[in-house]
Amino acid sequence: MIKTVNIKPENFKELYFPTLAEITEVQQFTEKEKWYKLSLLDGSNLGHYPGQFVEVSIFGAGEAPISITSAPNSYGSFELCIREVGMFTEMIHKMKAGDKLGIRGPFGQGFDVNELYGKDILIIGGGIGIVPLRSLINYILDHRQDYGRLIITYGARNSKDLLFPEELELWQSNPDVEFHQTVDYGDESWKGNVGVITTLIPPLDLDLKNTIACITGPPIMYKFVLLTLQSKGLQDDNIYMSLERRMKCGVGKCGHCQINHSYVCQDGPVYHYPDLKLIREAI
Amino acid sequence: MKSKPRVAVFDFTGCEGCELNKLNFENHLLDILDHIDIVEWREAMDDQVAEYDIAFVEGSISTPDCVERIFDIRNRTKVLIALGACAVNGGMNAMKNKQSLDTVREIVYGEDKDLFPTLPALPLSSYVTVDYEVHGCPMTQKEFLQLLTSILAGKKPVKPDYAVCVECKLDENECVYGKGMICMGPITRAGCDALCPSFGQYCIGCRGLVPHPNKEAMINILIENGLSIDDAEKRMDLYNSNEKDVVLI
Amino acid sequence: MNGYYLSQENVKDFISHLMKKKTVYAPHAKADHSFVFEEVVDADNVILDYVRTLNSIKKYFMPSREVMLRYNLDDNSYSIEDVEPVKGIFLGVHSYDMQAVLRLDHSFSHGNPEKNYLTRRLDNIFIGTSFTPDNFHFSSSVNIQPHKTEGFDLFMHKTDRGYVLEEVTKTGSDLMKGFDQLTKFHGEYPNSEHFKSHLYAPQEKLSKVFEESYDNPVWHEIAQKCVGCGTCNLACPTCYCFDVEDHVDLSLQSGSRERRLDSCMLRGFTEVAGGEVFRDRLADRIRHRVYRKFKYISDSAGEPWCVGCGRCTIYCTAGISIVDIVNRLVSDYDKKQIVQDSDMIAAWD
Repeated sequence: MIKTVNIKPENFKELYFPTLAEITEVQQFTEKEKWYKLSLLDGSNLGHYPGQFVEVSIFGAGEAPISITSAPNSYGSFELCIREVGMFTEMIHKMKAGDKLGIRGPFGQGFDVNELYGKDILIIGGGIGIVPLRSLINYILDHRQDYGRLIITYGARNSKDLLFPEELELWQSNPDVEFHQTVDYGDESWKGNVGVITTLIPPLDLDLKNTIACITGPPIMYKFVLLTLQSKGLQDDNIYMSLERRMKCGVGKCGHCQINHSYVCQDGPVYHYPDLKLIREAI
Repeated sequence: MKSKPRVAVFDFTGCEGCELNKLNFENHLLDILDHIDIVEWREAMDDQVAEYDIAFVEGSISTPDCVERIFDIRNRTKVLIALGACAVNGGMNAMKNKQSLDTVREIVYGEDKDLFPTLPALPLSSYVTVDYEVHGCPMTQKEFLQLLTSILAGKKPVKPDYAVCVECKLDENECVYGKGMICMGPITRAGCDALCPSFGQYCIGCRGLVPHPNKEAMINILIENGLSIDDAEKRMDLYNSNEKDVVLI
Repeated sequence: MNGYYLSQENVKDFISHLMKKKTVYAPHAKADHSFVFEEVVDADNVILDYVRTLNSIKKYFMPSREVMLRYNLDDNSYSIEDVEPVKGIFLGVHSYDMQAVLRLDHSFSHGNPEKNYLTRRLDNIFIGTSFTPDNFHFSSSVNIQPHKTEGFDLFMHKTDRGYVLEEVTKTGSDLMKGFDQLTKFHGEYPNSEHFKSHLYAPQEKLSKVFEESYDNPVWHEIAQKCVGCGTCNLACPTCYCFDVEDHVDLSLQSGSRERRLDSCMLRGFTEVAGGEVFRDRLADRIRHRVYRKFKYISDSAGEPWCVGCGRCTIYCTAGISIVDIVNRLVSDYDKKQIVQDSDMIAAWD
């Protein structure tokens, strides 16, 4: 017998109706990445957690899942950082302040800021993976007394691909932040570390019991970062990571983001690593 | 009012059926002309101009003269759109690529073969950058209009990357294999709304293969349904002689 | 609840009686040898003795294509498409298709209760009919007998001379009011039919079998034969994955956002912007589909998500059978158990 939840029509949800948002600011970070500040036109607050995403909607073109990069705030604005990787994002890149987009969400499970309370936080961001992590970083900076050390490791392909240049400098100069960055390929202008992101981890002096690693990056990165963390002695229990999949509906229906039994748009994109290990297709 | 995009239409090696299909837009022709200016179109008018916003190009590239012209068109246009099977993947013309060019010339031109230089029949994209493609032999009006409206509205055109079977099932068609027909639907790129099977006919595969096709499996299906290996391969080649892509098992 | 004899001659009058109450949807002939559910216009055209319909009645609650939004590009205004309850009588539904609807109810109400599907599901009446299994039906293996009445309001048990009509719910009894060409039936309702196709394990065992089958070579073997056309998903009465596309009208001022049934067998299903495909191998897609039918949802819902209708097998041009796949997994699992058991015995010795 299938247990069907008996739901009254007044509780049926209009799941696919976007809310209009206006772009209030645009900044170009790299050749391919732009940062957008938006406000919902109905004056409401997005009300998200770090690590969640929204479905961005362009009428005539469709929808795409995009990570929220700003920390939760009460001013009613939020920020997205969008890489141009196809026609949809190319269209967003043509937009300017004053243009309007549809927004659905926020969706999914973000980083559990309560679970992280009091811990040392090790941020590991590869490439565009820094985008959702920036939300968490700024949340922690906004609630600095609630958390232990904030260690940020960030790797990009080369120095031209580094995102949030102004903030990187702030993190670098903030005595409350341990900031390490690297690029895969160096050039004359680059004075810092050269090498993949995993090279930043071994030298770190970590309180293993009290450190939580939060990882986001391209799919290829996870395997190597996990190996590095494990050889460092960090327990699986202390690892959270965010996955990329095709979250089309955002509400656990359309099936596109499903990996084994898990819908990334509902159970993720941020997973506790012990849960993720049970999902064979995940990494 | 914004000036309308200047549109030109060209043809290479092909039957010009796709172009004729365009002239047949009785119900929509005026709507289309609201949004564009057709500035050059050999089949419909005499004018010639220097530059265009959108060039629709039909036919495959199969002679040295074609090569020169397609580069010229590419240089004059902002957007280049390949229309129909021949332009998109070489189409039926590409069957000739399976034989030596000399043999082909001899069959067609006999003693005069040296007067007619020829090249393997290749899609436009083998020579120049193609911005958009409309598949099919001939292309369907619906898809052409969808592409045109998307581009004109500055939006992203949708191009199916799945098989004709999908559209057949969405339309609740009876599978023509049940009637003893041999259909290319399982491996042919959709977008035609399963036009032929919807009318009880089998799909001949005119829209080319889906990306990453399992060709071996399709050939097995054809053989299981009564074709010889030779006929199965010919059926596969009819519109797909240039297709090289394979599936990841 | 009462039961009645309904003779073959009276079936047409019964349908006409139903047509006075609500719109009736029932099986009709299509093309050469197929059946489809359609709105009944003439009771004469209804065929209650059918093998299976091409698509299930899912299409009334989750249309294969559906406009979700309409928008105006000039001013970014948009409106949602109104969804109305179907409010129909579904006549002649087989038990496996009813069970499929109950499973969809679960999927669409679980988590986020989706307005589009659930609204269409309101105020419908279901009249079942028993069926004679062909070579492809295997619903008894997933606990769905041809006479299973769950979900129905009335049930027509096929007999030699017509039907025994069983009232299942109060709604069903009310529907009978005003129809008097009936004589009371006393006795046991028929309840068994002979199946030719079987899964060799119940769901409790399948759950264990699938725990051990992730790395079975069968996925790779089937992938050699499969063209990945998606027919199995699209014909499946419990599949509901969908994609959404936008279309711009010829006016260039307006457009619509449309959803359409999708298939996890299609390569593009898991493709993200930038081109990464998360289930690029056909074998992985086949495994995902079969696991979705017997493991991923079933583990939490407690029932197989396959209803044994046989559509995915009969419509597969490559001749791939889900029954064969599952039975192969069961047999491989059993062999492994025997080996493990004998290893244990050997260890004892």
